[in-house]
Amino acid sequence: MHGRGGQGAVTASRIIATAAYEEGTYSQAIPMYGTERRGAPLTAFVRLDDVRVRERELVHTPDISIVLDPLIAKQQAVVDNLKPGGLVILNTAHKPEEVELGGDFKVATIDATTIALETLGRPITNTAILGAFAKITGLLKLESIEKAILKYFPGRLGEMNIAAVRRSYEEASDPIQAVVTKAPAEKVDIHVGGYGVLKDVSSWRLLTPEIDVDTCIGCKNCWIFCPETAIEWDEDTMKPSIRYNACKGCGLCANECPVDAIEMVRVEA
Amino acid sequence: MVGNKAAATACKLARVQVASAFPITPQTTITQYLSEMYARGEWDFDFVNVEGELTSQVVVQGASRVGARTFTCTSGPGLLYMHHPMQVTGSGRLPVIMAVVHRGYKGMQPDHSDLMSQQWTGWGHQYVEHAQEILDSLLMAYKVAEDPRVRIPIAVGYDGYVLSYTAEPVEIPDQAVVDEWLPPNKPMPSILPDEVDPSTFGRGWGGGDPQMPWKTHHDAIMGMEDVQKEIMDSFEKTFGRRYGNGMIEEYRMDEADVAIIAMGTIAGTCKAAVDKMQADGKKVGLIKLRSYIPFPNKDFQEWAKKVDGFAVVDRSICPGKGGPVYMKLRDALYDQEEKTATLQFHAGLGGKEVRVHDFKMVGDKILKAAKGEKVEKITWV
Ligand code: SF4
Ligand code: SF4
Repeated sequence: MHGRGGQGAVTASRIIATAAYEEGTYSQAIPMYGTERRGAPLTAFVRLDDVRVRERELVHTPDISIVLDPLIAKQQAVVDNLKPGGLVILNTAHKPEEVELGGDFKVATIDATTIALETLGRPITNTAILGAFAKITGLLKLESIEKAILKYFPGRLGEMNIAAVRRSYEEASDPIQAVVTKAPAEKVDIHVGGYGVLKDVSSWRLLTPEIDVDTCIGCKNCWIFCPETAIEWDEDTMKPSIRYNACKGCGLCANECPVDAIEMVRVEA
Repeated sequence: MVGNKAAATACKLARVQVASAFPITPQTTITQYLSEMYARGEWDFDFVNVEGELTSQVVVQGASRVGARTFTCTSGPGLLYMHHPMQVTGSGRLPVIMAVVHRGYKGMQPDHSDLMSQQWTGWGHQYVEHAQEILDSLLMAYKVAEDPRVRIPIAVGYDGYVLSYTAEPVEIPDQAVVDEWLPPNKPMPSILPDEVDPSTFGRGWGGGDPQMPWKTHHDAIMGMEDVQKEIMDSFEKTFGRRYGNGMIEEYRMDEADVAIIAMGTIAGTCKAAVDKMQADGKKVGLIKLRSYIPFPNKDFQEWAKKVDGFAVVDRSICPGKGGPVYMKLRDALYDQEEKTATLQFHAGLGGKEVRVHDFKMVGDKILKAAKGEKVEKITWV
């Protein structure tokens, strides 16, 4: 299960494991933690079995890959290790026929971001994709997932998440065999670990900051607050500029700018 | 539930009276769960938030000294910081129980270097594999530590992330049954020998033999072995689960010619590998080591008569010396009439993943070594 820090992939993996427990089977949900960092791609793993799961290595060749993030969903890495004939469930507005990932696998799509925005008011897609998972795979009953959700989100938040799950259950359609049969030669490593000062994190961005230097009053707030040290300071002009390779698009700079000189512009998906 | 929740749940079941901890990844969520339980008033206990591990150890030390059942927990560098007061807890023969959520000290990821670095503090050291075993082992640890024959603090170690944050099914025993099996701690200020002036909290040994404190401490830990085995039996009788004899847990050793020895989560992965190897007709089994201190010398001496080889997979290393389990095993086997082949494997250091196929490689090598073929003695997996 692929997502980003803050999207709830770890919780989603635990909900699946708990739902399996509700149905009386064994399960294990392992998160892969690196540096805990909002926006960083991360992976969580789930095993379902009739007997107690013994091994504790990560899942290297999954039967099913679930992708919570629409930009990560465009990366070949999410299907590369699937078992032949496996299944990928992508959060994307595109139809399965339009998916450009290549290989021998089945692909299903669900617009979980829209569902999450409309039912939860926030683009947290972890529960919104689970309804599709239940329907497409038939591995778990919708009721078990709902029961598990209430354990993690009691009360009103639980009801909202259940609404998201139900809608994604209804909207999910059968998977098709991937249209593209060959994986592209060029690949991107989605697990950019370590700290941003050394790595290119531009692929994490949904929104890109743009500075209007004429409005800028040179207060240095953005430079101070950027968690990725992506902002350069020019001592001569007393103005900032952005190193876009290091910028993850968190929007802190725009938030901290006292004169709204920074605008977050949507990246074309 | 995740491993850390299992630890917090064990505290509740044991009706811990004083818990104190300073949050450090990957132990942090234990302190969160305990705080939530405290806020909800799930049972009557004090939860002391402190500014560091030195203090958390001292808080439970003091509380234990006056007879409270206590719990603390930490990880990696936090445990190193606790080193000094841990000695005092050990010397005072205080039955403090601590969960050590492994985090190596060359990074964030787990290996056993943190707890291994505390071998001289005079505690019992256990290493466990899965979330159920965390819960069960903590309950057993209280019963062992508080036994009048023992009175020794115990650290229960389990790997960070892959266990502390991994969700898996855990059976929670009935509170009433636990209450009956684990009655409240009885304060025993007189555990130290008569020469000790009780008002000095173990410090004042009078003018006698200055070596005595070390000898009584050592003897007490050596005596834990029998008590641990006995309490394992009584745990099974009450709760229906057991982990070998408490010291070691054999897995599919009936038909095995050779044994892999491992501790912690990687022992689980080894079980999966043993299943695959035995399905392929390879006679490899697992002896999971649960109690590193005291070390099950007798058990390994017995097993040495039955198998032709031991492959020790150490998840920590003392730089310049080697793997601690390997060294201890060789020590236990030195006086055996017949030599059993032993191999040393260094694996999972710095959180490096240890996979099923790695254990298959370990199995193949020890099978060869047991037949007298030449293989390298030390392998970095
Ligand atoms: S959006 Fe702004 S604050 Fe966030 S990483 Fe980019 S430059 Fe830094
Ligand atoms: S926070 Fe805004 S005004 Fe201040 S330096 Fe940055 S862009 Fe300029």
